[in-house]
Amino acid sequence: MQSPENDELSERELDAILPEWKTPMAPARLRTAVFPEALLPWWSRVWGASVRVPLPVACGVAILLALAAWRWSTPRTIYRERIVPVSVAAGADELRPVTVLRPRIIRSANAQN
Amino acid sequence: MTPQSAFDQHHQAVYSFAYRLTRREDIAEDIAQECFLALVRAPQRFDPARGSIKVYLFSIARNLALKQYRDDHGEEPLDGSEELAGMDPRESMDVSSAVAAAVTGLPQLQQEALVLFEYEGVTLEEIAQIVGADTGTVKSRLHRARARLRRVLAEYRKGNAHAVTGK
Repeated sequence: MQSPENDELSERELDAILPEWKTPMAPARLRTAVFPEALLPWWSRVWGASVRVPLPVACGVAILLALAAWRWSTPRTIYRERIVPVSVAAGADELRPVTVLRPRIIRSANAQN
Repeated sequence: MTPQSAFDQHHQAVYSFAYRLTRREDIAEDIAQECFLALVRAPQRFDPARGSIKVYLFSIARNLALKQYRDDHGEEPLDGSEELAGMDPRESMDVSSAVAAAVTGLPQLQQEALVLFEYEGVTLEEIAQIVGADTGTVKSRLHRARARLRRVLAEYRKGNAHAVTGK
């Protein structure tokens, strides 16, 4: 049989035992979570900044960037004029502008066919 | 009082209060954060005529802890039954865990009154303001909480005595 004093703690015993339950310290990040601007330097705030963009816009920008990257990385096709060698036999003089212009007028009455 | 000075003075107490009600460090951190963010975002909601800043912060913490309790326990009554609920402190190895188990095994309304009074040094009148009850009700809850703890923790003492004597 239990003695009556073992059935319950006394008020004094309870007062003595309750403070035995300790709690952990509040984490330091709590301050940063409540006052983020007070502790962070400006560059850190800029670095941590974010912008919300609608998904279709983000997809469009991603596609444009991919196309730009593809075009930049692909070597360009160089079109060169084909040089046709001029044969000397063809006569370089024939290619010169005429020195005397002699127009010949062909009238319709005289025209054959 | 600025939000910064309120934070400096009370953040540990609010965090400890939330931790003792939930026994979860992550939830206690969330609750403490929400309390001070509420003060930062809407300082005009704090009315010094209705109570101190400490009462205001503990009120917010208490409401958030109650919400957490309801999320975890559904519509279980806050005043609990007369059966001894919670963990059996005899199974705990150290006295700190035994006290924690006994206190968190109290019905919610008794638990918050006891934690505020015994651990945070809040007066009966302030507790009444925080929980929205009259002082007599708070005193009654505190009395029942202490009576219950005296019984539960006596079991822990007996369990330890058995462990020591090998009986």
